Amino acid sequence: MGKKGSIYISVFLILVLLLTACSKNNEPANGGTDGNNGTKTENGEKPTDGKPATWIADRKIKGLVFMGTDDYTEDMNAEIKQKLKDMTGIELELEIMKADHSIDGLIAGIASGDLPDFITFYLNNSGRPEMSVILKAAREGMFTDLTPLMKDTKVFSKYLQDDYLPLDTKYGVMFRPEFNGSSYFVHMNINREGGATTRKYVGGPFVRKDIADTLKVDPRTIKTSEQLYELAKKIKDGGFKDTNGNAVYPIGPSYWGGKEVSALYPDLSWGASDQRIKPDKDGKWLHEAQTEFAMKRIEFVQKLLKEKLIHPEFFTVDESRATEAALNGTSAIIGDMHNYQEFNNDMHYLPIGPLDNADSPYQMQVDFKSGYSGWAIPSTTKNPEEIVKFADFLASREGKLLWQYGLEGRDYTLDEKGNPKVKQEVLDLKVSDPNAAKKLGFAGVSNSFGELLGGTDIDRMADFGEMEYGESVHPEVLAGANGIIDYFDWDGKRKDAKINDGYPPLSFLGEFDRGTELKTAFDNYNDSLTRAYYTKNLDEAKKVMDSALKQMQAAGLDDYLKLLEQKNADEKTRVKY
Amino acid sequence: MLTGKLWKRILLHRYLYMMLLPCLLFFIIFSYIPMGGLMLAFKDYKFNMGITGSPWIGFVYFERFFNDYQSMNLIKNTLIISGMKLFLYLPFPIILALMFNEIRGKFFRNIAQSISYLPHFLSWVVVVGLVQRVLAPDTGLLNETIANMGGDGSTYFLMEPDYFYQIMFGSHVWKSIGWDSIIYLAAIAGINPDMYEAARMDGASKWREIWHITIPSIMPTILILFILSLGSILSAGFDQLYLLRTPGNMHLSDILDTYIIRVGLQGGQYGYATAVGLMQGLIGFILVVLANRLSRRISDTSVW
Repeated sequence: MGKKGSIYISVFLILVLLLTACSKNNEPANGGTDGNNGTKTENGEKPTDGKPATWIADRKIKGLVFMGTDDYTEDMNAEIKQKLKDMTGIELELEIMKADHSIDGLIAGIASGDLPDFITFYLNNSGRPEMSVILKAAREGMFTDLTPLMKDTKVFSKYLQDDYLPLDTKYGVMFRPEFNGSSYFVHMNINREGGATTRKYVGGPFVRKDIADTLKVDPRTIKTSEQLYELAKKIKDGGFKDTNGNAVYPIGPSYWGGKEVSALYPDLSWGASDQRIKPDKDGKWLHEAQTEFAMKRIEFVQKLLKEKLIHPEFFTVDESRATEAALNGTSAIIGDMHNYQEFNNDMHYLPIGPLDNADSPYQMQVDFKSGYSGWAIPSTTKNPEEIVKFADFLASREGKLLWQYGLEGRDYTLDEKGNPKVKQEVLDLKVSDPNAAKKLGFAGVSNSFGELLGGTDIDRMADFGEMEYGESVHPEVLAGANGIIDYFDWDGKRKDAKINDGYPPLSFLGEFDRGTELKTAFDNYNDSLTRAYYTKNLDEAKKVMDSALKQMQAAGLDDYLKLLEQKNADEKTRVKY
Repeated sequence: MLTGKLWKRILLHRYLYMMLLPCLLFFIIFSYIPMGGLMLAFKDYKFNMGITGSPWIGFVYFERFFNDYQSMNLIKNTLIISGMKLFLYLPFPIILALMFNEIRGKFFRNIAQSISYLPHFLSWVVVVGLVQRVLAPDTGLLNETIANMGGDGSTYFLMEPDYFYQIMFGSHVWKSIGWDSIIYLAAIAGINPDMYEAARMDGASKWREIWHITIPSIMPTILILFILSLGSILSAGFDQLYLLRTPGNMHLSDILDTYIIRVGLQGGQYGYATAVGLMQGLIGFILVVLANRLSRRISDTSVW
């Protein structure tokens, strides 16, 4: 090749490189939406006759997941994918939008306008930041109205019944009055029965059992922050060491990394830690900044910091170092964790308390029902009814059996009642090599692809005869978790629990005219609290907190509290706290 | 309009022009076409209508920004931090370049230069990670040293606003000084050695050589780099500050760039964030033009 030829080829290649980098994948997002060009079955033939009752359509469905890779994965096991195809005709393909914060990805994804057949996103309740984004998209006609499509389904038609959905899901998320009966996204993770519990969580601070035993302290007797302080002092004076021989921190950070942990001092906190608003005994709605509790808590934390009873980076330490402190026993008290942590299956950490609240003794709070995520179908998707039917299949018992337990014979067998009995080798693999187990591709081994569209109408006991995956066959898998449940007297506390249904106080920020400014001021309040913990004295801390309160008031705090009072008076918009 | 002569010249040097093409395409695609998106600063962005289809709303976002209680603090923080990085930092790479120039041992100079360039290739995530570890209370290198010398050793430097500027500026100098000295070193290398020889014959000391020959000779380079850097006076370095932010120093470290990310990307207010970004760019552009004029008038050195 001559010199000229080389130059032409080089320039051509550079241009091609530039142009291909800018080009879009023109493959239609909705795949074989005409129902004819789907992939073939394992027999190499398109199914024509004898289709199963679960058959929907021969097509590919693509979903874009705006949630973290820690919680979900794009990879599907080939055999499970094929089984799904055989049962429904649908080939499911998932893509996770990677972003620093899942909401960044959601906004960018919706703004790009290039959405596949369905999208899924985090949505605990209507107060979550994602809500304002999807609401804007729904108002601007980006999503398909799902109400008519849900009418003919088995599971999702329950969403149209009067008494099925919790208040927030019904009026705050899905069937908002402004939509006049239409609904543009589906709220997931709804329990079949109101007030039912899918997992017996015991959360909050945990203390090392050997230390509690040495000090002859029953962690359950700790009921106030002052008693917790006394325990921390005893730990410090005891000179306890971690597994590496280093001195322990009496109070270490949360297992998941630095953050504010209200469970350490609920008697010095006002409202839920992510809300900080509730009414006082006279029914007057107050923000924590308007009460004495913020300064009391600052004083308490400053005392812990000064006396070196708490990890100096308790509120900011990164997750890896926090988890390491828990695993090595460096945290004598782990600020926050729960009973399902595998490292604690031998119960070498025990739960403290629970501590009493600011204005009342401890009482377990149970949500009537609560959501976790949501999904929507873009208005550009063809034949959206097929997506809804597919979601309905995944939410049915048959669908759940596939995505939660895998394949019959390979991963489980059925007992005489038709309930799955998990195979020992799967459980062994899950313990010895969790990544290899995950490749089996179902929720029991941590691949929750089916949860995205099918994780709702939850009642594991009724569906599969067990609360946790594999529990009925091998109860030792959850020996630690169950031991702590007994130790905590979870069932006893559940009997006296308060069942809440309503909106979290911050849910109405979206409809408040200065909502954006107030949200910023609330965030600033949380940051100011942490800043105040580290000030040199209480006077300085008071200045920081006064400034934060002024900012909230300038952003309309008082009007917002009045709005909450009005909302709470209406049965359809009761506020929970 | 292109004359026939110019076309002929282009045709004659077509291969050189073709080599220029990817560079031009890069700037057109990644710098000029996206400028069209600036219209978002004057539009009420709707997901379904796109940038061009969304309705115009005038200067609403600009009014909103200046009515926001945070705006003055954001501008103040941005100006302080970028001012430190522009003015206070300016002599550091020049001094380093002068020092490198005086090292006679070639091997030692190469080693010293390489070591000083290395931090440039580390991302801010890594650098701030190192800073966090070194400054960690109790377990950090600095606190351990303080404790070993009889001090308290539990200071949470990153949470204390008193130490914020020192940490911010120190880490910026550490990361950038080596790389930024290269251009000055190149300028120094271009100075005619005869000038030094003449100075030495006249009995000039080393300091006199630097003061009267080296610095005046590289002054045009210093001025041009300074003028160009004025364009980013309202961009104080997003990555570093975003990572160094803690609740304790937030009132000092929150700058326009972090604000744009918070309201624009995390809050979904693209129009508002674009308006603030546009304002940053315009102020930088005006400053560059003014500084260039001033420099041309005073010293005959200018970018254009």
